[in-house]
Amino acid sequence: MTGTTRRDVLKAAVAAGGAAGLSACLDIAGESDVPQGPDDPSTLPERQYAWGEYVRHDDHGNEQLPRHQVLLYLTLARDGTPTESDREQVAAAFDSLSRAYAWDHEGLLWSAAYSPAYFDRYDEPLHDAVECPPPHALSPFEQPAFDEQHLLVHLASDNPDVVLRAEQALLGEEDGANGVSFAASLDGVAALADESVDRRTGFVGAGMPAERQAGLEGVPDDGPVPEASPLFMGFAAGFAQNQATEDYVAIESGPFAEGTTKHVANLRQRLADWYGEQSFEERVMEMFSPKHAEEGWVDGVGTNLGDDSRVDETLADVEAQAREHGRIGHAQKAARANRDEDGNVRLLRRHFESTDDGVASLHFPSLQQRMSEFDAVRTAMNGTDLTGVTPAVRQRVNNGILEYVFVVRRGNWVVPPRSKQALPRPQ
Amino acid sequence: MRRRDFLAGAGGLAAAGLAGCSGLVTTEPAGAPPVLSDRPDAVYFPTHVEGMKMAETGRAGSYRFALTYSYPHRFWNVNGREVTLTEIASEDDVHLMTTVWDADTGQILPETGLSLEIERDGELVSQEVIYPMLSQPMGFHYGANFGLDGDGTYEVTTAVGGVSTRRSGGFAGRFADPASATMQFDFSAAERDGIRYENTPDRAGERAAVEPMSMEGMPNGRARPTEELPGVVGEATSGDARVVVGVRDTPPEGVDGDGRYLYASVRTPYNAMVIPAMAMTASTGDFEGELVRTLDPELGYHYGAAVDAVGDAIEIEPTLPPQTARHEGYETAFVSFDPMEVTV
Repeated sequence: MTGTTRRDVLKAAVAAGGAAGLSACLDIAGESDVPQGPDDPSTLPERQYAWGEYVRHDDHGNEQLPRHQVLLYLTLARDGTPTESDREQVAAAFDSLSRAYAWDHEGLLWSAAYSPAYFDRYDEPLHDAVECPPPHALSPFEQPAFDEQHLLVHLASDNPDVVLRAEQALLGEEDGANGVSFAASLDGVAALADESVDRRTGFVGAGMPAERQAGLEGVPDDGPVPEASPLFMGFAAGFAQNQATEDYVAIESGPFAEGTTKHVANLRQRLADWYGEQSFEERVMEMFSPKHAEEGWVDGVGTNLGDDSRVDETLADVEAQAREHGRIGHAQKAARANRDEDGNVRLLRRHFESTDDGVASLHFPSLQQRMSEFDAVRTAMNGTDLTGVTPAVRQRVNNGILEYVFVVRRGNWVVPPRSKQALPRPQ
Repeated sequence: MRRRDFLAGAGGLAAAGLAGCSGLVTTEPAGAPPVLSDRPDAVYFPTHVEGMKMAETGRAGSYRFALTYSYPHRFWNVNGREVTLTEIASEDDVHLMTTVWDADTGQILPETGLSLEIERDGELVSQEVIYPMLSQPMGFHYGANFGLDGDGTYEVTTAVGGVSTRRSGGFAGRFADPASATMQFDFSAAERDGIRYENTPDRAGERAAVEPMSMEGMPNGRARPTEELPGVVGEATSGDARVVVGVRDTPPEGVDGDGRYLYASVRTPYNAMVIPAMAMTASTGDFEGELVRTLDPELGYHYGAAVDAVGDAIEIEPTLPPQTARHEGYETAFVSFDPMEVTV
């Protein structure tokens, strides 16, 4: 008997990455039997974020995002404007990746996105149908580092070996993946400048956080994360009715039509007081709303809510709830700015958890047509207005979940349409 | 590193009334006496008094930071009207405290989100939002108990949020940005255990307070002296808090509205430490409304509103107790308030 279980190896493999992570993964689980992608990648959806139809869904129709995810923050190898030859190489690498894996959760869902710093390499400005400024602080109490690498490749699959193989082939460490020989890799054009911060990994799904909580910095030693929870904080999120549609977040016109903007934050989680100082009802109040706790709407991890968090039912009297309960809910605060005038949800959030560096954190990608929509929702989530309503709601205490999450990094990205996914020009 | 042992010298504690007392001087925090069973609903002298040490001071822009520490200790959290005892946890090694102030004026920044990140050799040891607290010797500060990974050198980054409390006068537009400073903390359990610790059975429960510490290079949380405040009308007491009520001829810059400016400066008895983060309403003349939490260089932290005119009397009613945690001796005071009236 060894002290390491199959489960232990698998749960560490994607975080470890590289040949070692892949080899550990294959030794235990073997190679996933996954179909290849289409011979002609142009038959794939023009929207790189067209994941909704291709992921698992629960009984209520909520998207179940791929269980294993990797974010590669790549820096251009050379100064100056990318050359046509660079563009051809990247296009060949991306086409190879598309051919290697079927576009679904068993295969690979992925996207390539570009930062304002990337578009700054060009003389002409980013087309004015795209609103994506450089990242900036979004609360009066955060001082995040800003991700200003050039290219963000996001890989997601239910199979850990698939994301690892895809990464290796894309970065040129292997010649191919899933039986497809790569015509090119990104090597020589873009690379991880500092692997310790530029390669980030994560996971999402019921059971995965609980399985990884032992010995993790940020989660108390008594293992409070419920087995059924898809996230460390113990509740489900991303209910279908509270998410924007892919149609809604699509850029409507110009050269980036069918693209979108993507904010990605990394938030460290510190859950000792979340679980240690608070009752279940208090956690429900702070995650959803005081009304959710009063009405007993949330059972366990909240999957009983179905496809709707019911947060819209709590927005009419937010200030009164703050005064009465001395607390306010995270979801209700944010929702105040996350609806357009017709009641449509503005953001499509696709966050997942991480144990990078042995620390519990959340990778928070959010898609929206315009970046200012994200900024507005985050401003509403700060609840600064509510600290003026009652001193019981403080800047970071009794103010949703702000006490327990620490923004470490923020980055803003343009996700071009698939036909322009290889080193797009700004116009 | 600048270390100071605040209590070991000719400090206020000896003068604070230990003369003639038989309080033990020990170096063991384990002997903390039980919480008194017959505490007054008022400020009282605690069962024991602890000193503290400076780890280091830091700076960022116009902000100054001080990181101090002592034995882990019990404190009481206040959420709404609820006062809840937080006991020392077995893994706690220190009580870490931070004070943040404006270098130009010495104004301590209250009511903002403050967090500590503790690292050792680049590895994360802890990170928490720490709570605003009131203690008798320090007044307002931020503090929490922390467990560490044994003796050694830690890097402690203190991050303070931009102030959302209304700012007026010369403070209008200031303190809006976050800032952080990293300070070094050389921790040794033996050194911590050398911090002064005294049981005070002869005075425990008495209606008195441990004297304020004054420490070089670091302001404490004292309110502006009454004699320096403009237009003082009178003073009242409620919930054992002292409320100095005054009227300025005009509202300070940064306060909307015309007419005069009614304010209340609330402080602890004995030590006159600022009591922040409460809610209160006032009525006088035609005015009836909230006194808004405000930070002003002349009035200090206060509660104020523009009023058209002041009547013959000013009624003030606290509607929520100060939302700050309390060190022992303050947890039963400033919790329930009766309305007050000051005659003009």
